[in-house]
Amino acid sequence: METSVPGGYAGQILRVDLTNERIWTQPLSPQDYRQYLGGVGIGAKILYEEVPPDVQWDHPENRLILATGPLAGLPVWGTGGLTVVTRGAMTNGATSTQANGFFGANLKYSGYDAIVFQGQANRWVYLYIKDDTVELRDAAQLLGKDTWEMQDTLNAEHGLSGHQMSVYGIGPAGENLIRFAVIAGDYGHVASKNGCGAVMGKKQVKAVCIVRGSRGLRAADARGLYQAADDIAYDLKTDPSTRSLYEYGTLPGVVNLLGLGALPIKNYTTNEKPEGTDMSLWEAPALRNGFDHRGHQCSACGMHHCHMQVLPSGPHQGKIVDEPEYEGWSGAGWAIGLTDRVATSWLNTQIDRAGVDVNEFGWLIGWVMECVEKGYITKEQLGGLEVRWGDAEAADQLLQLIAQRQHLGDLLAEGVKRASERLGGPAADCAIYTMKGSTPRGHDHRARWEEMLDTCTGSTGTLESGAAVKPQEMGLPARINPFDPDAVAKLVGSLQGRRHFEDSLGACIFTTRTTIENLCCALNAATGWDYTLGEALRFGRRTSALLRAFNIRCGIGPELEKPSKRYGSVPVNGPAAGIAIEPHWEHMLDVWYETVRYDRKTGLPKPDLLRELGLEHLIPELWAEEVPSRAV
Amino acid sequence: MPSEIDRDSALVQEEALVQIDTVAWVTRYVGGSGSDRIGFGLALAPGDTVRTVLRRLSQRFPQLQRALWDPTSGELGEHIEVVVNGAILGVRHGLDSEIKDGDRILLFGQYMGG
Repeated sequence: METSVPGGYAGQILRVDLTNERIWTQPLSPQDYRQYLGGVGIGAKILYEEVPPDVQWDHPENRLILATGPLAGLPVWGTGGLTVVTRGAMTNGATSTQANGFFGANLKYSGYDAIVFQGQANRWVYLYIKDDTVELRDAAQLLGKDTWEMQDTLNAEHGLSGHQMSVYGIGPAGENLIRFAVIAGDYGHVASKNGCGAVMGKKQVKAVCIVRGSRGLRAADARGLYQAADDIAYDLKTDPSTRSLYEYGTLPGVVNLLGLGALPIKNYTTNEKPEGTDMSLWEAPALRNGFDHRGHQCSACGMHHCHMQVLPSGPHQGKIVDEPEYEGWSGAGWAIGLTDRVATSWLNTQIDRAGVDVNEFGWLIGWVMECVEKGYITKEQLGGLEVRWGDAEAADQLLQLIAQRQHLGDLLAEGVKRASERLGGPAADCAIYTMKGSTPRGHDHRARWEEMLDTCTGSTGTLESGAAVKPQEMGLPARINPFDPDAVAKLVGSLQGRRHFEDSLGACIFTTRTTIENLCCALNAATGWDYTLGEALRFGRRTSALLRAFNIRCGIGPELEKPSKRYGSVPVNGPAAGIAIEPHWEHMLDVWYETVRYDRKTGLPKPDLLRELGLEHLIPELWAEEVPSRAV
Repeated sequence: MPSEIDRDSALVQEEALVQIDTVAWVTRYVGGSGSDRIGFGLALAPGDTVRTVLRRLSQRFPQLQRALWDPTSGELGEHIEVVVNGAILGVRHGLDSEIKDGDRILLFGQYMGG
């Protein structure tokens, strides 16, 4: 058996038992590295093996896994990546959610590929890492601080700034166990899905603070790695789609999605811009240049994607904020009827600072605003707060009520599904969510059927397959009719696996929008392996199957794979007006299940698929009583 | 630069026209800055479809040609979205639907989320 650590890896995982304040390292075998790679791959393995069904999201024995991957810290664009895997608070099921910045690179430079938290601290702590110095330190001075203040405080305490130290942690929302709390860090990067910040808060971990370590990383083939990095960068700069990302990040999304009926406006009540809105101000160059700005790039990244900006006007003029991503413009803006760019930008950073998911915030506050307008929620229930569409200051006050669990904020802190169900009546029909408890990304999926299907069937608390990237490489058509139920379901099922491969490399989702072949070249140069497209997809599907098995074991089955009434409703206007997904839903599920080879009734990966994926050891547990009747 | 340029209108004033607008990012492929709208009035020939008029326009702009079509299949590629008379392609029109005088086609960049 091979024993040496493959190139690209630090060679060990950091284990932290919070209950006993015990810290140790765990080596992985080269075989494990090749089979599970990193990020969500390693996370899914640990989650499945160490979190049994009776360990709910808020149980001390839940695991919180912060993992990076083999490319993190190497000179490939966007390789500071962090993947958070846990049993999340929104679905009480598996989570895989990513953030970038410098965390992944700094962790590797200190000598670790991942951190696994277990147990629950009996005091608020933060984890400090600097090479071999790994300590749980008292976090009393950080309590109540927002995610930016927390980083300021730790920077000052340690006399470090810039990228010398990466801090990821929770804001007041995570401390107060808001179900959609996030883990945020490096001023504006957020692992946002499925309440991973609530899990961190339950464990009483305020932050992880990693000083840029001094360990070197070895690439098996340094020349090959530079060549692969060059090829990837060239592709990102010249591909017709990624070229816009390269130049303007996700900013073009607002205008593009409005044109496609997929920009969520006022809680899915319309798909038309408010009368008089000048959309030329929302085009990418105008959106960026409307503010003083500068680049805020992640580790080793040449994309012009992340920026900081200064608010040019309004009550918060002069404040430095994070330039919103597309989903910031939608969740902190259009979804709640706010089309003032400066106010949206301010609110977006307020949301990041408080530490909640901007998408869930948009669905929740949009729902509240609609309910107030229709008289389903009263001013008294909101503690006397006046709320109306597009009011940024009121939205911020709601944010603070939620983060502190005050007045109706205590109910809203449970997320839009639980809040609307508890309020009941006609208000319940206005809420956007999946029956699993997750909510969509920042789009109107009534014009993006593939994303609605992916969100509802996915096992991660969000999109699992993601958008088609160079689908021809996987033998799929470049484009399908987006409203053809068969084609959509086949596409979503067939794409399964690519996203998990990307999310296991320690790289950003935007800098992996190249061919899988290019990514394999980089991976192979780093590690010395011979990964192929086929092995990459098999790895990704194995990860999907593991997460699916975990969820089924937790009781999250096919009966929950559908949108809420509003989420699955028919657009009343705009480019997808009159198009209804609901009549096709069950058929789409049939086709999706057939494509991914999961059992339609139980939701489980079928035994023959598990064998193909090298997961035959799961068959006895998953199919113990089922195999005789259903085995294929 | 004017917000809309009708490059062919002088040549085709008496003929049936389809208006094809490139919007925002897609203008980069037809000589624009990525922040405006550049429109084209194309004369219609008998039997013209969404496919044939888009093909005719893209033949004039190599970058648009590359972005719009999948080189292997010859069908629409993944990069540009097509809206016909205010509805996404697939709602009321397909690529081979007939185009009539006064129809409008919008070309948007592919959505990139996050």
